[in-house]
Amino acid sequence: MKGPFHNKPVVAALVLPGVALLVFAMLVPLLFSIYFSLTNWSGFGPFRNVGLANYKEILLQDTTFWRSLWNAVLLMVVTIFIQNPLAFALAALLSHINERFSAVLRTVYFVPAVLSFVIIARLWVSIFNPTFGIFNKLLAAVGLKWLAVSWLSNPSTAIWAVLWIITWQGFGWALLFYYAGLMTVPKEIEEAARMDGASWLQTYTRVIIPYLFPVISAVIVIDVISSMKQMELILLTTEGGPGHLTQFIGVYLYQKAFVADQYGYGNALSVIFVLVSVGLTLLVQRFLRTTSEAA
Amino acid sequence: MRTAQAAALRRAGTRFLYVLLVLFAFGQLFPLLWVALYSLQKSGALFGPDLLAWPHQPQWVNYANAFTNGRILRYGWNSLVVVVTSTIASTVLSFCMAYAIARMQWGLKAVALTAISMGMVIPIHTTLLPNFFWFRLFGLLDTRLGVIIPYIAFTLSFNTLIFIGQFHNLPTSLEEAALIDGASWPRILWSVVRPLATPAIITVSVMTFLTNWNEFIMANTFLATDDLRTLPFSIIKFQGEYSADYAAQFACMVMVALPPVLLYLFFAKWIMAGATAGAIKG
Repeated sequence: MKGPFHNKPVVAALVLPGVALLVFAMLVPLLFSIYFSLTNWSGFGPFRNVGLANYKEILLQDTTFWRSLWNAVLLMVVTIFIQNPLAFALAALLSHINERFSAVLRTVYFVPAVLSFVIIARLWVSIFNPTFGIFNKLLAAVGLKWLAVSWLSNPSTAIWAVLWIITWQGFGWALLFYYAGLMTVPKEIEEAARMDGASWLQTYTRVIIPYLFPVISAVIVIDVISSMKQMELILLTTEGGPGHLTQFIGVYLYQKAFVADQYGYGNALSVIFVLVSVGLTLLVQRFLRTTSEAA
Repeated sequence: MRTAQAAALRRAGTRFLYVLLVLFAFGQLFPLLWVALYSLQKSGALFGPDLLAWPHQPQWVNYANAFTNGRILRYGWNSLVVVVTSTIASTVLSFCMAYAIARMQWGLKAVALTAISMGMVIPIHTTLLPNFFWFRLFGLLDTRLGVIIPYIAFTLSFNTLIFIGQFHNLPTSLEEAALIDGASWPRILWSVVRPLATPAIITVSVMTFLTNWNEFIMANTFLATDDLRTLPFSIIKFQGEYSADYAAQFACMVMVALPPVLLYLFFAKWIMAGATAGAIKG
């Protein structure tokens, strides 16, 4: 007996247009990327098949590639271990104060997250500008003028300035996720812990945080993916410089293909980018699942 | 006595927390405030020693310059066309896909769901190079359609997952009743399911609109003709041709930031709902 929801033509009509679009704009391009990654094409003119030469060069000789992966890892560490705990603490505070006030603050915290990368990038390029930027003026105002440098172009500060911009913009998201998670914690389990004489800190570390483990895991997975994917903010602030120190893989493959005219090489970077993104996501998901089962 | 002290201490603690929270909010808004204030000053004021200076004689001419030199009208219109089209298409297509996955019974459902989830992991940037070649074969390069198609494709996965979450929370009885009454499928989707799914429809369309309104890198890669470019390029204009006019650049940033901020303030509730559904269920 087939139910009313068992109707193949209807399923096809509902699913095929969307799937066709995904195939056209995502899957086929990936296949082309694999094809071109095996060539030495510059983007125009003739080219030939070079086998795995591009991959070999990227993995064995390209220090910029490894630097860009390293920067992504650095960003993951900063978001997961600094931004997230701060966002969680703030979300916890917001869940205990007057609801109207909390709603206003949550709205404010999220404003940077709805702005275009172009605005965020120009904003911080101006703030960090060595001649008129407000950052160095602030330093001077508190007597730290000697610290003032050209933050986005100084080799020892550039990556930290970039990481700061990204975490600043992403803060609203982290806060939003944790606040929403905290809203799902049943009042009873919190009260029960307090009845048993737990301090508020113990209530959080022993009851609420374990309860929210699935939410925390989800946010960590999102952090890992988005750290890998950073591109526009870097392209529009430092272009990966000075000397590739702030390079991220999305920027690097773009510059290889469209600036250095190494289209084949850029595509090889692109393929590696997909593999690393997918692999890392699966790995982190598995790791978090086994950790939560062990706990 | 001791309880009174404890209460006083707690009040002081609460007040401290409030101050902390407000300071943090100030930190998030301060950069934007700085830009807004100096967008009304003369460009030279920026090079003065003041941290912030109130514009006693607001230089509205900066906004006029930003409007003309930033091509706000032209780019804004282009953004509107591209973003509205892709938002409607993405909402409709993800609604349909989600319905088939959440409700219908078919063999490849699990495969389809995995494939759609994978779509959220694949970075946009990995399609930039191959699509530059692939879209050219269809004459899609440097056309509006050439950005509309990826704008739909890259929002489909997230939107579909949001709709699936919504459909799982709706009863099937109404649709079954309508089917027994002999209603056609398009009619069921439009008249029975759509009204019930309104919250998800609002969330999905607002978030898709914001995402695509702010999108820059695909527009930058696929659109070469200046007349086709979208609003983020207004700001880029002030990096090149008019780079000395900082005040107009700031005015331009304020104007480009305003639509998404207003949209967000208006639909904050729906954006929060969607974002959290995506994080907690995904």
